[in-house]
Amino acid sequence: MDSLPTPRRALRTAGCAIPMLLCSVIAGAQTSSSAPPQDLVFKNATVMTASHGTIEHGSVWVHTGKIAGVGESVNAPSSAQVVDASGMWLTPGIIDPHSHSALDGDVNEATSPVTPSMHMIDAFDNRSADLYRALAGGVTTELLLHGSANMIGGQAVVIKNKFGLDRDAMLFPNAPGSIKFASGENPKRVYGSRDQLPSTRMGNFEVMRMAFEDAKHYMAEWDAYDAKVKKGDKDAVAPKRDLKLEALADVLRGKLYVQIHCYRADEFLTEEAIAKEYGYKIRAFHHALEMYKVGDKIAADGTAIATFADWWGFKDEARDAIPWNAVLSMREGVKVALKSDSDDHIRRLNQEAGKMVHYGGATEDEAIRMITLNPAWIIGVDDRTGSIDVGKDADLVLWNHDPLSTYARAQKVYIDGELFFDAALPGWGTTHFSGVMHDGGGFGSDDEIGSAEDGR
Amino acid sequence: MRKPFVFVALLTASLALHAADASKTIAIEGGKLLTVSHGTIENGVLVIADGKIAAVGKAGEVKVPGDAQIVDAKGMTVYPGLIDPETNFGLTEISADQMTNDLVERSDEIMPHMHVYDAFHSETELIPVARLNGVTNAVVAPASEDSISGQDIFIQLYGKDRDDMIMGRDVALAMNYGAEQRRRGGRGGGFGTYPSTRMGLVTQLRQSFFDAQDYMAKRDAAANKKDDKGFKRDLKLEALIPYLKGEKPVVIGVYEGYDVEVIMGMAKEFHLKVILNHVTQSQEVLDKIASYKVPVIIGSIYDAPRADERFDAVYTLPAELAKRGVKVAISSADGEGPVSSHSVRNLPYAAGFAVAYGLPYDEGLKAITQNVADMFGFGDKLGSLDVGKMANVVIANGDPLDVRTDVKQVYIQGVAVPMVDRQTRLRDEYKAKQ
Repeated sequence: MDSLPTPRRALRTAGCAIPMLLCSVIAGAQTSSSAPPQDLVFKNATVMTASHGTIEHGSVWVHTGKIAGVGESVNAPSSAQVVDASGMWLTPGIIDPHSHSALDGDVNEATSPVTPSMHMIDAFDNRSADLYRALAGGVTTELLLHGSANMIGGQAVVIKNKFGLDRDAMLFPNAPGSIKFASGENPKRVYGSRDQLPSTRMGNFEVMRMAFEDAKHYMAEWDAYDAKVKKGDKDAVAPKRDLKLEALADVLRGKLYVQIHCYRADEFLTEEAIAKEYGYKIRAFHHALEMYKVGDKIAADGTAIATFADWWGFKDEARDAIPWNAVLSMREGVKVALKSDSDDHIRRLNQEAGKMVHYGGATEDEAIRMITLNPAWIIGVDDRTGSIDVGKDADLVLWNHDPLSTYARAQKVYIDGELFFDAALPGWGTTHFSGVMHDGGGFGSDDEIGSAEDGR
Repeated sequence: MRKPFVFVALLTASLALHAADASKTIAIEGGKLLTVSHGTIENGVLVIADGKIAAVGKAGEVKVPGDAQIVDAKGMTVYPGLIDPETNFGLTEISADQMTNDLVERSDEIMPHMHVYDAFHSETELIPVARLNGVTNAVVAPASEDSISGQDIFIQLYGKDRDDMIMGRDVALAMNYGAEQRRRGGRGGGFGTYPSTRMGLVTQLRQSFFDAQDYMAKRDAAANKKDDKGFKRDLKLEALIPYLKGEKPVVIGVYEGYDVEVIMGMAKEFHLKVILNHVTQSQEVLDKIASYKVPVIIGSIYDAPRADERFDAVYTLPAELAKRGVKVAISSADGEGPVSSHSVRNLPYAAGFAVAYGLPYDEGLKAITQNVADMFGFGDKLGSLDVGKMANVVIANGDPLDVRTDVKQVYIQGVAVPMVDRQTRLRDEYKAKQ
């Protein structure tokens, strides 16, 4: 947790290499290689669409991996494979807009407060058991983010949780790029403890401004060069490419979604002011535990939040956290998503959504949207996933109980219409896994430095 | 005539009420009573008098005193206050702020003479937050870094001062065994101080108990001679005596199967009265754990299983142990370190999760009420809706184990506690500005 390393977990999970040799044998036997059906129909489910309410006794038709029909009845061909979902609930796949899973602890390049050229994809471990456990909890898409040690961290990777397939097959095709910024206590603590800039919130924000001044200058150099080339100047010398400044230029050009780790109300306002000063937009504040204090202002800027359901008190800037934050902010017009930031919590985000009914009286529809459509928007894939609508990817979860209750267990998880998890299967419940699963590796797992410096 | 007392009024009035409430007779009428000890009573009546439960039963079968304040609980669920078997209440405030933490004395591995009551900060903001979700009692234990980290207290979550809230001092000895405890020695590539291995940990523990046996004999001999002038007290060894005598339980935190077997071997050698804690990565020895005939606290049910285990290996643990006849308690620990004490309000959901994965519902409720009370010696005072027990009672608008349920009123020793905390105050303050 936060500033405190978690050696207990680290050491307890360290001894798992030997049993894993066994896993490959056990799991190999369960691997299914049958292709998904061309047409698949779910009948008699309580369909929670996330976009247009709940359909009791509803049907959903999936054609070649996309949703082709949804309603009380659908016009699927008679050849379709039918899943009788009587007494069950069907929701869109859960989307976690803030995860550090499957990065084997390589979460923070904490050697400089500005590292925009880092790519999380370079650390992505598709064999991580954390992905499998999240899949079993109904999670179909994750935004894997850089940690919060740096004011300007690295570039995120978006995955579809097709656990068992190869690395490239797990990447969300053509998902927009995101970059993680951070502010507040974490950069202060990491660099302050080394007597480096930034050691204060003043330092934090000045580091950002200085970086964007560099980026503006870099863009101007390239613009001048491009202009010369355009004029036919054959002697024009191209500026040296700088990966760091190129990434920041992409922020200024609006090519990267800016995701900001940020807790306090005053910091939301400062971050928005800097964004306006340099002309970029903030996609979402992550954590955002004090959004209930300034929700109206942030709603006006169109920035969403990805927040915890009820965590508080783990650090000073989480002192004013209240479990009503999400719903109060939503009522102010802010788009709200819930996220895990934890390899434990990612396994039961549906329950975190259920708490929104408890705290603040969210409707079931609003609560489901906080873990499906709204996080999809934050990632920029809401046109393709996050709700049960015709034309969208068939990322679906079948539950044995109301997913907003404590009692729900994901029974089957489909991604692009294909079954990736089936609780009824013996052993792992995964349909493609046939190798060695890697232990943990994400936040709070097997890298003390990574987890300690990431923080929340 | 009796006036029905509805919840809207109760919520706003509770602040003013609580001080005067203790001696009042209260009748909670019309609710669904989850008694824990004798099933569910639909349309029940529960009478509270002098801070205790005076009557429980079906409407019409219970005589309600004429002067009783009536609380209308129609459509509500009424159940005993929840008890968390392991928290750090009063030992932590803000996890990352070291000056607000008194979690464990890290200067040595064997610290039985550390008393949690010496550090317990009863004004902590964590307690009202947990109380609002129906938690009325808890064990407070030190953090688990030491092999013997100190002696626990048993508290109630409301009272006029610290002493009023501590129901039992030194109720159990907190022990731990496994990878974490060798950490200090093992740090820096294994060139630390003794004990840096599990072998060292067990040897050190055995030596400590032998030292205490020897000390006990010498102390008794000196006392018998009525000449104890030359006898120097050793607080550390003396603290171990009640546990050597089996008078109180030791709570042993241990995760992995082989560690459970090793530490139980040691505990048997000294005839310790054991409560096992955690055991979340012990799938291969569940029958053996049952054979020890000791109660088990499961925490955290959210712990990650090993990579070679199915995703739900830990989720099913309470059910698997209960099936084998083990008395099971569930703690709110959420697998993320000290922050779990901020999440004690989620205790009922941990039990609900165990129910989702096979634990019978009644056992789930018991695992956070009566079973905990029994383990720590408060079984005759707490844990069920029975006449004569302390009136620690919760009224909620639904199933207590479900995350969607909202607790409407909590009574502790018959006092309707104020249903406010720092977080509701912030909520109301900023809502007013909207």
